[in-house]
Amino acid sequence: MSGSEAAAAAASKGGVQYSKIAEIKGPLVIVDDVENAAFDELVEVETRDGEKRLGKVLEVGNGKAIVQVFEGTTGLSVSGTNAKFVGKVMEMPVSREVLGRVFDGLGRPKDGLPDPIADRFIDINGEPMNPEQREYPKDFIQTGVSVIDGMITLVRGQKLPIFSGSGMSHNLLAAQIARQAAVVGTDDEFAVVFAAIGVQYSEAEYFKRSLEESGALKRSVLFLNLADDPAIERIITPRVALTVAEYLAFDLGMHVLVILTDMTNYAEALREISAAREEVPGRKGYPGYLYTDLSTIYERAGKLVGKKGSVTQVPILSMPSDDITHPIPDLTGYITEGQIVLGRDLFRQGVYPPVNILMSLSRLMKDGIGEGSTREDHGEISNQNYDAYSRAQEVRALAGIVGKAGLTEIDLKYMGVGDIFEKEFLSQSIDENRNVEETLSILWKVVSQLPKNELTKVKDKYMDQYYQGTD
Amino acid sequence: MAAQGRIVWVSGPAVKADGMSDAKMYETVVVGEAKLVGEVIRLTGDVAFIQVYESTSGLKPGEPVVGTGNPLSVLLGPGIIGQLYDGIQRPLRELSKASGSFIGRGITTTPVDMAKKYHFVPSVSVGDEVAAGNVIGTVQETDLIDHSIMVPPDHPGGRIASVVPEGDYDLEVELATVESAAGGGGDDGGSNSAPAEPLRMYHRWPVRKPRPYKDRYDPTVPLLTGQRVIDTFFPIAKGGTGSIPGAFGTGKTVTLHQIAKWADSQVVVYIGCGERGNEMTEVLVEFPHLTDPRSGKPLMDRTVLVANTSNMPVAAREASIYTGVTIAEYYRDMGKDVVLVADSTSRWAEALREMSGRLEEMPAEEGYPSYLASRLAEFYERAGRVRAAGSPDRDGSVTLVGAVSPSGGDFTEPVTTHTMRFIKTFWALDAKLAYSRHYPSINWMNSYSGYLADIAKWWGQNVSEDWLDLRSDAYGILQREDTLKEIVRLLGPEALPDEEKLILEVARMIKIGLLQQNSFDDVDTYCSPDKQYRLLKMLVEFYKRGQTALKEGAGLADIRAMPIIGSLLKARMEIKDEETQKLDQLGAQMAEQFQGITGVKVPS
Amino acid sequence: MTASGPVAQLEQTIDKIIRQTEEEILSGMESAAGQSSQALDDAIPALEQEYEKIIADGRKEADKISRQIVGSADLEVRNRQLLALEDAVDGVFVRALEEVAAADRNGADYAALMRSLLAEAVSVLGSSDVVVHASAQDRDAVQGILSSDYAGAELAPEPLGCMGGVRIQSKDGAMTFDNTLDARIERLKPLIRKGIASKFGAGN
Repeated sequence: MSGSEAAAAAASKGGVQYSKIAEIKGPLVIVDDVENAAFDELVEVETRDGEKRLGKVLEVGNGKAIVQVFEGTTGLSVSGTNAKFVGKVMEMPVSREVLGRVFDGLGRPKDGLPDPIADRFIDINGEPMNPEQREYPKDFIQTGVSVIDGMITLVRGQKLPIFSGSGMSHNLLAAQIARQAAVVGTDDEFAVVFAAIGVQYSEAEYFKRSLEESGALKRSVLFLNLADDPAIERIITPRVALTVAEYLAFDLGMHVLVILTDMTNYAEALREISAAREEVPGRKGYPGYLYTDLSTIYERAGKLVGKKGSVTQVPILSMPSDDITHPIPDLTGYITEGQIVLGRDLFRQGVYPPVNILMSLSRLMKDGIGEGSTREDHGEISNQNYDAYSRAQEVRALAGIVGKAGLTEIDLKYMGVGDIFEKEFLSQSIDENRNVEETLSILWKVVSQLPKNELTKVKDKYMDQYYQGTD
Repeated sequence: MAAQGRIVWVSGPAVKADGMSDAKMYETVVVGEAKLVGEVIRLTGDVAFIQVYESTSGLKPGEPVVGTGNPLSVLLGPGIIGQLYDGIQRPLRELSKASGSFIGRGITTTPVDMAKKYHFVPSVSVGDEVAAGNVIGTVQETDLIDHSIMVPPDHPGGRIASVVPEGDYDLEVELATVESAAGGGGDDGGSNSAPAEPLRMYHRWPVRKPRPYKDRYDPTVPLLTGQRVIDTFFPIAKGGTGSIPGAFGTGKTVTLHQIAKWADSQVVVYIGCGERGNEMTEVLVEFPHLTDPRSGKPLMDRTVLVANTSNMPVAAREASIYTGVTIAEYYRDMGKDVVLVADSTSRWAEALREMSGRLEEMPAEEGYPSYLASRLAEFYERAGRVRAAGSPDRDGSVTLVGAVSPSGGDFTEPVTTHTMRFIKTFWALDAKLAYSRHYPSINWMNSYSGYLADIAKWWGQNVSEDWLDLRSDAYGILQREDTLKEIVRLLGPEALPDEEKLILEVARMIKIGLLQQNSFDDVDTYCSPDKQYRLLKMLVEFYKRGQTALKEGAGLADIRAMPIIGSLLKARMEIKDEETQKLDQLGAQMAEQFQGITGVKVPS
Repeated sequence: MTASGPVAQLEQTIDKIIRQTEEEILSGMESAAGQSSQALDDAIPALEQEYEKIIADGRKEADKISRQIVGSADLEVRNRQLLALEDAVDGVFVRALEEVAAADRNGADYAALMRSLLAEAVSVLGSSDVVVHASAQDRDAVQGILSSDYAGAELAPEPLGCMGGVRIQSKDGAMTFDNTLDARIERLKPLIRKGIASKFGAGN
């Protein structure tokens, strides 16, 4: 194979090691008198004690190279530190054997097993998918979670993040999606790629156990950068995870669900590097290129013409102070195809999953539902529920001020709709797997509390068929 | 002489090269052994600062940089329509042939198929004098586009020395030769009348330079989009400028797609500038299956896509806007109405900011360069309704619609505020409306159109005399409701008298029955001007009849219970454009039902 | 007046109270009995439900455990295979290294190899003004090449512990390029592993 020969040639050439370190600041090492280094090149930094750390070139020229050290610069000194420019960009060895494996945040084995014997070595930065070669995602994924299937439908190849806040039940929800979506898979092969980005051990462990209990661990690949692992490594973790996901999807034809948690930690690592480089900051100190950088992660989801598999992303991010206008959720929302927003109020009331549907959205829903995939009335009944629940929220707010006495009869009906929606539709136990028929029938039950005249978003023919009210 | 330099520094999309004293500003250069495309954006001594349009991963100091001598240009000729280009006019379909599903680097292709033959019908003969802009013949580019072959705007013109007969030719064939009149008269016998560049089916034009025209007019004709909230409430004119700012999830892209689909223009240029890959795919997949409501032909036959998605190199994102607008001007010069939709100008501004940061320029607000406003102004100034240069007389227009993605949905951020200075139609998207699934979520209190007065004349002449009055009545109801809502918020709806409750009721009906539009519904996605007018008229009439009914002793509950309300609100989905008699029936039913609650006989 | 009047009255009252209390107690007991039997009746379906739920939960749990056991067992088997394969690969690797180390160093091939390794190293550093490190066995050969081809280069006084090849360093010590056989094998190791593994019929 010519590809591997080229790889062999590149690998055998190796790189030059430089020992003139000009400066170390934050996560950066600045090397002087560098003659032969390329932008983005992988660097092996060796400490005085022979410990090796990985890094990459951020800027090179005029005899100077700025190297970002993934594992941090703690313990490095100006004298006695060597930087070896490896002669290639960072690559991840991939093969079918990565399934069932656990790696660290840089893609090195963490499970006591040897390095995977590579089928290919792939540049972890990936390349942008040619929009002309994308296949528009429209295959419904039944997650068994009513609020997602009914109102924020997920389709294969979509990127749909969960916007959460500290302490809320995003991990339970993501694990439930992974378990249930995986089990439904028919003949097609599925896989789960899980990347922990600066989360606590217990969260990663919960996820692992959940996959284990559903028997899906052997179809999963885990990348773990935990809270006490090096922060700068987090720049790499989602990229190695997505490299593996793309390989499984587009080389091996699997439907891959990628869970990245928590992207907020990723963005913070990026901010740390930007600050060390003394770049002009954008909002809240995050670099001006945060949008572009995030897009090089999120856009690595999709389907391709002529390829069987797909990469579906469910990134999780915790909104600092539950603020959706904070740059991380804000820029994420501009890139992803919708968002699932968890609500603090619902969470406090003990609702699971505490999804605030009014702020949530799936942009690809319209093509994944309807006749031939879910049911023909799905779009309209979902719209009607959005409408009704939104009215219910307005009425609740009003009732808080003027009291129930100040409400009209119809307003009171809307309040009832809100309650039923939350109790019967939204609420679900973490091992309850509802099919789409059940989900839709609850949606009809909710709005059937209202008189017919109020249901303006549903065509008459569906009213005749599904409306359960007495009006 | 082309510059030949060496890379001395690389950081992301920014490269410095020395030995570049022969380079010109905005010249296209070939960078490194991978032969990446770049553009010179600053010259200091013999060091050129280059923005590279492709990923610079693996690029090393010491690699060569070679100038091309030309500024960044687009190729203009038949074959552009139906294409999907990247930011520097490379056809993505051709790129995929070279590098598969992912975009490779250093690939060279031509923007159109140079070997494809078109049937050329000449409109000039030997001996005719031609000048820059003159049409020398036409070819049929697609079913919808007859494509004028024009003398390039920078051509000296002169007398036609030869011209090919009608027939099938490819793009490289010399269709006509021109003897330049200004050539010096031929005193030296041999080198007389320095022949001007022969005319082919295509020419090139630098993207950063607006194409010249003869005259400019005021935009007074509406660009009909089939979207009620736009056409009826905040219209845009052909040749006008509009902006659509909104936080994520407010439906910017869907609204822009709707404009691209249904606008009554002959050509649509859709620029995906730093946005999602799947959105471009959606257009590519959907447009060939949608038919133009006026011609019945596939919409793709009039559409050009320029896609530089968010994860594609950031410098090419900056160029994509200019690539798109130059193509738009080219079709305008043929006498066509062109709509250019740019999603999103904020990402373009961010690309400017990123390059400015790498150039270490002094930042202005939020890190954006100080020239952000002037760049935006230059861009929107390329809109307009014009008479093209050369003969015969052709009137065409370029309408520019730019999305803005304000960070955190904050309209006071620099890109939104500067854009507002240069546009005349402002469609403010509102997250609250979007959260309640009111789509399109264009906020009727914050939006405006500077073209309303001119466009009202068109409606008066072409649809109905009373259009402007009805629109004002409906808008008045919405304004009253906005004030009343404050009272309701404090005291509850029961605190209002029936007349005011009626306003709330009718405002709700206007919102659901007129302002909201379901772009995914086969019928509702497009609404003809006539249907828009009839729906508007019925809702205003409902209000007037309601007022009368209340005065005559009917209760509000009676009005609310009328079954006609449901039918009126669903008419937008249930009644097709051509079924006007059904709308008339609705009107008659409304009259009857009001009669029923007041008991007053109305002569029929 | 005898005392019988008020006493009898009192007794009557007491009797009445006792009767009433008795009745109340009785009826209370009856209703309690009724209630409890009702509660019992009510409880039966609930109990049955509970029972079924426990069974269903148990079944679910059993399902879960069996999926978990099967999944883990599959994985365990696979992982053992990976370890066995790695052992085999390591074995081949060690033998190959031994063969390289024991290779004949006197032939023309080996001299040519040393020459090309040195040339490559010098070209990568971009200077022949270097210090060259070599193993004790190779020192003489390297010295020979240096004195004939690289006037500016000098041989490091202390020998390098390696199988063969050279490591060169700029004279100021700032740049080093390792072109020993050990370093080259290490760089190629992932590819060599793949090659060996495919001989065992593993890998893709």
